[in-house]
Amino acid sequence: MSRGIKEVFNILIASVGGQGGLTLSRTIAIAAVSEGLSVRTGETLGMSQRFGSVTSFVRMGPQNAVMSPTFSEGMAHVMVGLELTESVRNLRYLSEGGKILVADTVKPPITASIGTARMPSKDELVGALTSVDPEAVIVPARKIAYDVSNPRAANMVMLGVFNRIFGILSDDAVINAILTLLPGRRGETSVAAYKAGIKWAEENKVVQG
Amino acid sequence: MAGVRDLPERINPLKAPAGTRLALMGNEAIARGAVESGIYVVTGYPGTPSSEVIMTLQRFGKDLDMYVEWAVNEKVAFELALGASIGGARSLATMKAPGVNIASDPILSAAYCGVNGALVMLVADDPGPITTQTEQDDRWFSKLAKLPTITPSNPQEAKDYVKVAVMLSERLQLPVILRTTTRVNHTVGDVVLGATEQPRKFKGFKRDPPRFVRAGMRWNLERHKWLNKQLEKVEGILNELGISINEVHGDGDVCVVTEGVTYNYVTEALNLLGVKEGVRVLKVGQLYPPPKEFLKKGLRGCGKVVVVEELDPYLEETVKTLLYDEGISIDIHGKHDSLLPMEGELNVLMVAKALSRVIGVPLPRTLQVSRETPALPPRPPPLCPGCPHRASYIAILKGISKAGFRRDEVPIFGDIGCYALSVEPPLNAIWTEHSMGASISMAAGMKLGGNDKPVIATIGDSTFFHSGIPALLEAVHKRINMLVIILDNTVVAMTGHQSTPSWSVTETGRKAKPVLLEDVVKALGVDNLAVIDPFDVDDMANVVAQYLRKPGVNVIIARAPCALMKVRAEGVKAVYRVDPEACIGCMACIRGTGCPAMYVDENGKAAIIEEDCTGCGLCAYFCPRDAIKEVRHE
Repeated sequence: MSRGIKEVFNILIASVGGQGGLTLSRTIAIAAVSEGLSVRTGETLGMSQRFGSVTSFVRMGPQNAVMSPTFSEGMAHVMVGLELTESVRNLRYLSEGGKILVADTVKPPITASIGTARMPSKDELVGALTSVDPEAVIVPARKIAYDVSNPRAANMVMLGVFNRIFGILSDDAVINAILTLLPGRRGETSVAAYKAGIKWAEENKVVQG
Repeated sequence: MAGVRDLPERINPLKAPAGTRLALMGNEAIARGAVESGIYVVTGYPGTPSSEVIMTLQRFGKDLDMYVEWAVNEKVAFELALGASIGGARSLATMKAPGVNIASDPILSAAYCGVNGALVMLVADDPGPITTQTEQDDRWFSKLAKLPTITPSNPQEAKDYVKVAVMLSERLQLPVILRTTTRVNHTVGDVVLGATEQPRKFKGFKRDPPRFVRAGMRWNLERHKWLNKQLEKVEGILNELGISINEVHGDGDVCVVTEGVTYNYVTEALNLLGVKEGVRVLKVGQLYPPPKEFLKKGLRGCGKVVVVEELDPYLEETVKTLLYDEGISIDIHGKHDSLLPMEGELNVLMVAKALSRVIGVPLPRTLQVSRETPALPPRPPPLCPGCPHRASYIAILKGISKAGFRRDEVPIFGDIGCYALSVEPPLNAIWTEHSMGASISMAAGMKLGGNDKPVIATIGDSTFFHSGIPALLEAVHKRINMLVIILDNTVVAMTGHQSTPSWSVTETGRKAKPVLLEDVVKALGVDNLAVIDPFDVDDMANVVAQYLRKPGVNVIIARAPCALMKVRAEGVKAVYRVDPEACIGCMACIRGTGCPAMYVDENGKAAIIEEDCTGCGLCAYFCPRDAIKEVRHE
């Protein structure tokens, strides 16, 4: 099922700390290496990033083709967003013609809740995304994850949508990567969420190519 | 790979056979490198971006017959590693950049006594800075301490260079620094594993005062001469062993000198610019002493030089000195002529722009994307839902008022740890955060300086063990009136939940003697001590108020486990829900706590994200209408 790639493919993952953005980037990296690709991820870990803005760069390509752990503005082939505000915040990284896949979740930051900064409405956020990619795929990821397992597995729903659209990695490679990273029950619920993401993409005909 | 303990051997990063290709983070690769190099003692103090080396060895290295434990601070860690290596063992000490400052005293002397086994020091710098108080460039430290230093550019090299460092250390009988930056430590890349080696333990230790006793000044002069001779051998040893950590790529009369992660930016930038020839790239892996022969040979015939590096113009100045000595006068571009910035991290685009100017090729249009986006509320990392530090600072602020003072006349000195996040609104709590342990000594210093109002120092348990003890001793001995609050969440939380000296078993399952905070504090002779649960906010606020008015050094230990750790161990037993009928939308809960599990819903009422709530109930404490209720999970 893997289509492979001939050139370096850049993914930007935008999330709020604690949503599983880092797990998502690591899953893709493990799956890509198991498929014989080269990878680099660039992310900021360490300082209690819970509930802060988190940006992960994931790059994969043929062996020896990927070098830098990050890429610059305008170089993401796809942005996978786990939250709408963070997706808009990272729009500058998307390339001309780049694809947006985003969960329809909004997590207002504390600065907005305590009134020190204005929070755009959900419609404004979606509008900012569709003005760049009119075909942006907005996924009810939290609900899908909630229905099959656990709302925390929304990241894996997004992985399913991503991989169904781009098909760079085989499902086996992704599922093995999930189970390597998340053993036990969390692994099982994550695989279920991944499959639910694939199913949603098929049912909603967002599948390209 | 959080939580993975029983990985099949074929994908366990420390045990998988040679030839296996795995996706490893730079720090995981360094951990594997330690196993491949026969290192026996591994120690350090947690500090981003260095922590995952020891965490990986602890998590996946059970039954590998290695000693892998956190030490109380970086100085002690380095001395443990030094002690092991003068006895012939191979050792590794890990730390972040400021950790080197803590450890610098023994490191400088270690260059004079040298080692017998191997001693590798991982020093992780942080251009950006992404998680560090300064953009300290520890390549200067290598020069100051006169210790051979090498640097990798990716996770594969990070692993391989541990072995190079061990080899160099044993050949030179000197500690060797493996210097990394965040974008190597925290990058995941494909890494091909090598063969592992049996750990090398104690061989013997012969009395040799000229080497190991620094009290003899004549000995010290001789050892300094010895050290300088050893440094001259570094490049020759690498060449003799056929180790090529300095490489030349391409040819041309424009020469780019680079090192570490920036080598990747240079290569990709040249690709982006479509420059296929006319440029020679010198990748420097040997940072100190600089590889003079390599640079002389590599720069021969260059018309101009561009130095691409992060942080200070260290290589740039090295190259300038070298070319001056050679009598060569050509243009050298880098930071001194503002081609590249002196601060912050680099990326491919910044390097491409710089190279396009020097080489004279245009930047491709596709790279000049600019997008307008609506103004967005910033999202700095807050204290987690259920964090006991939130309760502590709320109680401290209330206590100040209860004692009859204004908030703006009682400075709260902060320290290094998660609790520094209390600086953000709505708590606006700490006034300073400086260096490990400095909350206590700086607060004491302000009293000595003549401030007659109360001062408060707040410090985490691990930071207190690390550097707070001598500071508290100083305050007690000098009879300073102050309140010290130790925020005891029983773990090094910010760097990913490492053990503290209060644990009875370490991460690797070794039995340890728990050192209790209250025993240490009492033994130091403080005047008053209270141990309090900060979630009893009113109780803690009363003690704060009482202690602020009492003379002497008064200490409160605010003890409640880190919320993340507690949830991981016990799960969430209850959450809180807002009753929208009862909520009057006053937002006292959100403004009081700043809890990130809370938000304002579309009807202007407070709401709680259920999967983020850990059930601490602080929001309910602030609600004037009793509209926030506990819901217990069955």
